[in-house]
Amino acid sequence: MTTLASRTAPGRRHHGGVNSGQSRSGWLFTAPTLILLGLFLVIPILMALWVSLSDWNGNGSPFTSRVNFVGLENFGSVLTGNGLAEQDFGESLRNNAWYVLLVVPIQTVIALFLAMLVNRQVLRGRGIFRTAFYFPSVTSSVAITVLWLFLFSQSGAINNVLSWVGINGPNWFNEPSGIIQDGLAGLGVKSGPAFLTGNSFLGVSWWDWIGGPSVAMTALIFMAIFTTSGTFMLLFIAALQNLSGEVQEAAMVDGASGWQRFRFVTLPQLRPTLFTVLTLGLIGGWQIFDQIYTGTQGGPAGTTTSPAYLSYSTAFQNQNWGQGAAIGFIVFVIIVLFTILQRVVLRDRKVSRRRMRLYQPNPATRDIPTGGDA
Amino acid sequence: MQRRNRWLAASVLALASAVALTACGTGFNSGSGSSTGSGLTSSKKALTVLIGSSGPAETNAVTSAVASWSKSSGTSAKVIAASNLDQQMAQGFASGSPADVFYLGTGALAGYASAGDLLAYGDKLSNKSDFYPSLVKSFTYNGKFYCAPKDFSTLQLVINKSLWSAAGLTTADIPTTWDQLESVAKKLTTGGVVGLSMNGQYERMGAFMVEAGGNLMNADSSKATADSAANVTALTFVKKLLNEGVMKYAADVGEGDGGQAIGAGKAAMTVEGNWVTGELSSDFPSVKYTVAPLPEGPAGKGTLVYTNCWGISKDSPNQAAALKLVEQLTAAKQQLAFSKAFGVLPSIQSAAATWKKQNPTLIPFLDGATYAQGTPASKGSAAVVADFDSKLATLATSDPKTMLAAVQKNLLATIQ
Amino acid sequence: MTATLGLPPVAVEPKPPRPNFRERLTPRQLWGNAIVYAVLIAIGILYIYPFLIEIFTSFKTEADATANPISLVPPTWTTAAYQQLFVNSAFPLWFGNSVIVTVFVTAGRVFFDSIAGYALARLNFRGRGVIFAGLIAVMAVPSVVLLIPKFLVLNTIGLYNSYPGMILPLLVDAAGVFIMKNFFESIPRSVEEQARIDGAGTFRTFWSVVLPMARPALVTIFILSFQGSWNELAQFIISANNPNLTTLTKGVASLASGQLGQANRYPLKLGAALIMTLPVAVLFFVFQRKIMNTSDGAVKE
Repeated sequence: MTTLASRTAPGRRHHGGVNSGQSRSGWLFTAPTLILLGLFLVIPILMALWVSLSDWNGNGSPFTSRVNFVGLENFGSVLTGNGLAEQDFGESLRNNAWYVLLVVPIQTVIALFLAMLVNRQVLRGRGIFRTAFYFPSVTSSVAITVLWLFLFSQSGAINNVLSWVGINGPNWFNEPSGIIQDGLAGLGVKSGPAFLTGNSFLGVSWWDWIGGPSVAMTALIFMAIFTTSGTFMLLFIAALQNLSGEVQEAAMVDGASGWQRFRFVTLPQLRPTLFTVLTLGLIGGWQIFDQIYTGTQGGPAGTTTSPAYLSYSTAFQNQNWGQGAAIGFIVFVIIVLFTILQRVVLRDRKVSRRRMRLYQPNPATRDIPTGGDA
Repeated sequence: MQRRNRWLAASVLALASAVALTACGTGFNSGSGSSTGSGLTSSKKALTVLIGSSGPAETNAVTSAVASWSKSSGTSAKVIAASNLDQQMAQGFASGSPADVFYLGTGALAGYASAGDLLAYGDKLSNKSDFYPSLVKSFTYNGKFYCAPKDFSTLQLVINKSLWSAAGLTTADIPTTWDQLESVAKKLTTGGVVGLSMNGQYERMGAFMVEAGGNLMNADSSKATADSAANVTALTFVKKLLNEGVMKYAADVGEGDGGQAIGAGKAAMTVEGNWVTGELSSDFPSVKYTVAPLPEGPAGKGTLVYTNCWGISKDSPNQAAALKLVEQLTAAKQQLAFSKAFGVLPSIQSAAATWKKQNPTLIPFLDGATYAQGTPASKGSAAVVADFDSKLATLATSDPKTMLAAVQKNLLATIQ
Repeated sequence: MTATLGLPPVAVEPKPPRPNFRERLTPRQLWGNAIVYAVLIAIGILYIYPFLIEIFTSFKTEADATANPISLVPPTWTTAAYQQLFVNSAFPLWFGNSVIVTVFVTAGRVFFDSIAGYALARLNFRGRGVIFAGLIAVMAVPSVVLLIPKFLVLNTIGLYNSYPGMILPLLVDAAGVFIMKNFFESIPRSVEEQARIDGAGTFRTFWSVVLPMARPALVTIFILSFQGSWNELAQFIISANNPNLTTLTKGVASLASGQLGQANRYPLKLGAALIMTLPVAVLFFVFQRKIMNTSDGAVKE
């Protein structure tokens, strides 16, 4: 990245010549992007930080003297206030956590599955299939939400299809019960044990925390999988095409079955792409907003609120700007935490010494320095 | 050396932007316009009127009323039908460019008034004494009468006539007690039709709470009464109807509200406000319906009253014209025209007699004004009511007492 | 994360590893292929059918839409939904606003991303490393955090309720800068040196010599920007509340949440969603190959 020219002693200026022209041009060329970044990214974050630490009520500028610094009060009422704010935040957190928990793995698996299928060598018409699977990703989330509202309405297409197999479909977008709770109720467990319903975290009882996403949220989960699996499928296809066929052939010669080949040869080589897909999925999943704004506005019974939507509605509808900004920052922290967590879980672990010994050639029998048999 | 330069540059940039921001703080309030002698601003700017419409009928009626005022007064004005009134109002105030005139509900008054967004023009109204005193009280905050009530509505029972007679019922069968309501709903619940349907919200089912002798708060929203035994009785009754299958929420029959439910023939009865007449005439013009008083509860008659006022923003550059517009829109002739278009009740007493003559079928709505109670109006209560509505979604399987206890706790937090 | 360029062109269809001891596929392999085809076709139908429903339902009457949600062919063809859409709502205005915003954002992003990418790839100046690190940091900030503050900033600088206020924030595109930077790094330096010998200045070199060579990457940025700005919602919510500045996304969202009353006007809503999807769909089909062969920044020729 750095060329010979720039590796001069620090402090030595170049007057004239190619490099000062480059320096000027360099700053000039990047200036628009930098100004925009500063204006619409750096400064907003600083402003939001101030608003979240103040009691601005939406009238006039937040920088006048009438607005007071209140410290962590907004954060406090959202995280520990024991009132409606904490309960709303807890609910939104629960909804979004289940959403991410279900969407990210499922869409990754489906994307990989589709990529493996579409990438098969003997397949004809793979372009058509790729187009079909990728098309939903191209549409706007508003348009897809409108379509989904129709498909999942009470007398809509999905319930129609379910009735073919005798299932009476729920009123998807108006059903607030959690699917795990529904499942347990189907098995006869109608209400939770006392220690779960009695205790709560962030204003939501533990029974509700583990109750699963609501039926309405599940419809949104289906929509997310439908619209994002195509994008990730493309990433996987590109990665699969970069794999050399030789390793596969070697594994086949060794007698590995298809599944073994997938698990021990293909999958480890896909690790970087897998990591990318999971990261993008996590980051996107914690920011769900458009679908809620268009489709459910947080209902039914607050089971499709997300922290992003809550941040918006607290500020723009309830005029509680400080709390809204506070929620936004909390979401930021959550996303960073999850990304770090995922990085830690998926890191390349150092191979333990014992395993290393398995792969070392036995010095006594070694004749050619090309490594022995495993 | 390079590192120090970087830090220096960064701190200079931060300092510069901080200075720039405080200087630019005035970008928020672009209010201009001179003040007249009466303390109201006045300018040549056009007025914007922001409304939360119940449908095309209301939007058209308000638009034509404002247009005719524009023509006669010479000040142009534009009507905007909000898709989300609360959000657009909050955004407008925060950005320093709010609408000049807007719908303001009782629940929203406290918040905006305390933030200094509203102009308290009530005492300047020329027809001030004509408004119903109870409505004036609803829009008085901290002793100041803020805005002119534009109309009001109560909730009553609306019945789909053809489904009613198809079940073999006559006018004599219209229920007058809760037990009768239950039995009539049973008779009306057949294959694809449910006897009673309404939005699963406090804004409808609260009528039952009033009829049982309770409500979420007292008359001037200074005390929280959510966990009273009367409220528990009312919700237990509704829960019973839900579990018997004779009542379903409008969303559960696939409709947006009770009016749609009876118009589409999915329910025979609904509890709705008088705005439903406008909705029914525009969406289901061929459906015939009757309006009957709600059946009496354990404590007698009761219903909820809804009223909005014409708010004028303090930042408006043309308050004088806005005041004139409001006076025009609350005049008897205009209110009766609105009533004909989308069924609201006139907020001035002088129009009552004419209105009764023009709308003999809707008289129960107006009569309801005598025994109706309002919705909570303390600051922040709107969020509590929204949360209560969420809880009510699962009323059929929940315990009303726990539900109301939680609401009580949240309401207490708003009046401290 | 991004595959670098400079790989030899990879054949799209690598040779299948044929078993050495047979000429044709075994029955087992034929069966395997058949199953794969069946699965793919089934899933493909699952992915496409909703859009077919959308198209055909917009031509049904409201009663038909509710009564027969799955069937494709309307018993009575009617364009009532579209008529209502254009008469009862400001749909043409929304479309126009979306076009304006998208044109400016796309043009702006293509230009600013390419010059910034070129500067980071080829020009040597102090602070290049800082800017690069800054861009990475920028990509990490989730947009949800910026909802409220962008609104505040737009107010402060007086751009609220204006077209610049809707366009400028969308010009921030760190990913695009990265794509261009990666691409420019793969262009041989000899081209630029030749231009410099011929006496061209920095901008001239960039504009007339290097940029035309960057067509594939520019097309990528063009597609991504078009899609991004056409489908954007949150930015438009916070940057304007003047109904004359409503874009398609905001308008259709308000239709969905009941602006035209509480009735289930499904054909109308689906028709609106359909028209909204058409431009990006057309773009998609035209540039299909380019989009399919792009993976997060890499461009395969």
